[in-house]
Amino acid sequence: MRVHLVTMPWHPLDLPSLQLGLLHRIVRRARPGDEVTEFHGSLRWAEFLLEHSGGRLTPGDCVEVGSDAIFHGLGDWVFSGALYDDPGWGTARLRDYAAGRGVPVGTALAMRPYAAGFVDACATEILAADPDVVGFTSTFMQNVPSLALARALKRRRPGLTVVFGGSNCDGPMGHALHRNHPFVDHVVRGEAEYAFPALLRHLAAGTDPVDVPGLCWWDGPVSRANTETRRTVAPADIPSPDYDQWQAALDASPVQEYLHPKLVVEGARGCWWGEKHHCTFCGLNGSAMAFRAKPGERLWTEIDRLVRRHRILDVVTVDNIIDMAYFRDFLPRVAASGWDLRLHYEVKSNLTPAQLRLLGDSGTVHIQPGIESLGSRVLDLMDKGVTGARNVRTLRECENHALTCSWNLLYGFPGERDDDYTPVIDQLPALVHLQPPSGAHRIQLERFSPHFTDPDLGFGKRRPAAMYQHVYDLPEDELADLVYLFDTEPAGIGGAVERRLREAVAAWRAGHADSRLLFEEDGAELLVHDRRHGRPPATHRFTGWQAAALRHLEDGRTVPALHRLLTAGGHEVPGEALETWVRRAVGRGLLFRDGATCVSLPTWGEPVRLPEGSG
Amino acid sequence: MSGPDGGVPHRRTGRRVEATAPLDLSGAGRATAEAVRFLRECQGHGLSVRWRAAGTPSYDPALLRHLPPPVELPADPGALEAWRTEHTHGVLYHRRGPDFVTVLDRRRRGTAVRLTLDHPGLLGTFLRLLEPTPVAVLDPVGREALALLTAERLVLACGGWAVTLPPRIRRWPVPCTAI
Repeated sequence: MRVHLVTMPWHPLDLPSLQLGLLHRIVRRARPGDEVTEFHGSLRWAEFLLEHSGGRLTPGDCVEVGSDAIFHGLGDWVFSGALYDDPGWGTARLRDYAAGRGVPVGTALAMRPYAAGFVDACATEILAADPDVVGFTSTFMQNVPSLALARALKRRRPGLTVVFGGSNCDGPMGHALHRNHPFVDHVVRGEAEYAFPALLRHLAAGTDPVDVPGLCWWDGPVSRANTETRRTVAPADIPSPDYDQWQAALDASPVQEYLHPKLVVEGARGCWWGEKHHCTFCGLNGSAMAFRAKPGERLWTEIDRLVRRHRILDVVTVDNIIDMAYFRDFLPRVAASGWDLRLHYEVKSNLTPAQLRLLGDSGTVHIQPGIESLGSRVLDLMDKGVTGARNVRTLRECENHALTCSWNLLYGFPGERDDDYTPVIDQLPALVHLQPPSGAHRIQLERFSPHFTDPDLGFGKRRPAAMYQHVYDLPEDELADLVYLFDTEPAGIGGAVERRLREAVAAWRAGHADSRLLFEEDGAELLVHDRRHGRPPATHRFTGWQAAALRHLEDGRTVPALHRLLTAGGHEVPGEALETWVRRAVGRGLLFRDGATCVSLPTWGEPVRLPEGSG
Repeated sequence: MSGPDGGVPHRRTGRRVEATAPLDLSGAGRATAEAVRFLRECQGHGLSVRWRAAGTPSYDPALLRHLPPPVELPADPGALEAWRTEHTHGVLYHRRGPDFVTVLDRRRRGTAVRLTLDHPGLLGTFLRLLEPTPVAVLDPVGREALALLTAERLVLACGGWAVTLPPRIRRWPVPCTAI
């Protein structure tokens, strides 16, 4: 059989498709006689736009529409006209939607006229390879571009078998996608390692795939959805991706000069924290939460192979959370390589300074620690398993180890109150020297999250997010099964507190670049140089128990615990004097107070700071 | 190496370094190559460096604009302003991989050229010239590589000495994606 694997826009242009890389290996491993080819449609789209717009629509515009606008469905909308054979389909609804929310849509509108021609060109190119099976992988806004191409392929060659898979097909979404689009022959729901080869066996034999778990297939005019399996794929059965065809496509592409390619690797699937405490807002793991990690040695072997093969030193991991064993059996190997790798990893926020140092030493300098909030009660509400003080400490250690920390400040959790936020907002100006969040965002209701599966948690009323009205021509009850994001009535804070929070975060972002709060040891004195935005420059000098107290509070402690430590260290400090001193230090913004816990804010390290996007 | 060394006298306090004597940029010989190495290493380690320049360059002075600018440039005070304006952290650097080096060169405004050096002769010479080296000691392969690297403005060859220009990135800025 000839199997053609397709990734359509808006797959990120600078990354190979892990999904295609894995599927390629899965098919080759199970069916060595099959021919496997890949179609990197996202790259093709960037080329098509650049060429047909005379250079006006660039790869940067693809990022704006395809990555930055995920919550507005712009990328899907660009291709809805091609899917529904109507160049103006949904345009009025999109304009209404965007006007009400202040969403810029000019670039998406400029792209729409090219979509149908592009889909046609893709179909011609793919059919020229004479495939038996075309497999689409769909995540985020790849649904409509993929459906548009699938429809064009089936229209021109009805005998072709079209298969969909990927995160957009998980659970009820996959069945809704199947039953509403008759030109999609099969939908693989869940992981593909076992199911896709099983489907290919049925296709080769001409038998009904009744025994492939999770699969959707047509039984005459009826869309059948086989029961999904609870069995997850063992790490030993997860292959190492093959990126050779991506590299060839990239090497031949005129958009290459716009891109900074990176490798994508997978160490683990699922979430070990979520298995125990599912963060209430998170639906990212879909229906497969069980945590499974490749041994660190194997992950390193894969990276070693890919780095040598592709001569690329930037590596993005897709793991939703790092395996803590990797601090023993993976990161030390990376650090020992002596190569100047730059890795991105999602981690849990409560890492120790030694663990953060190891991340830095290994080149894992871009982390996403899931900070989400700086208030302990809100973190409790989301079952995050970390305190506000601990999160502030992590932000401070990121400065000490020159780690780039991506995070969001989330709010809108059912049960949260104004007074959960007020003390945090009051202290945000003291944090201006630490890396700010990308913004303060109200949470959305995601399928598969506890908020979604348990309406009693506070989001009883929900409907498919408004953006899907300009994406799909489907009734609301079908959308309710097809989509990932839902609109709800707002929960938690609002009004003045919400406004204050957003303003304080905006001020943090604006004041960060030139703000420093630095420790310096000068003999017996501990100096704190305060060069933070919004405060007069000052140098504070501490000696004796006060210097010791600031050092002890780097770990975050209550005042009584601090008192015990100082006493044990030979410092005679009256409890009342210590309370007064802590209050003053909080007032000067040298400590962050989270309930009873205080944490020191000055840093020892001073990373080279550059404006975002200066490259 | 945890910081700059070589023949350049300097003082270091935390992440700040000060060269205690003016650095000769004339290009007359080893001193200029050592000065470049010193500034290159400071840059690669993310250290802030204070230094004064001496001498009039006999080469295109724009070759040094990726290095931190001096506080004084007596030979051409007018060029100092341009150096300060043009200098951006990470505008030219290299990274080590297994049997290859990648160079990112954004010295020409609006461009980002990525070079991969994996030819053994080229790679070996690039790495060797991280240490200031007399051109006379290079063998024919080294000389050929030197010509190519000089043409790409990745090596300063002047006064009989050669030194590699792009620092090895030892400390990523924040955000690390900015370069």
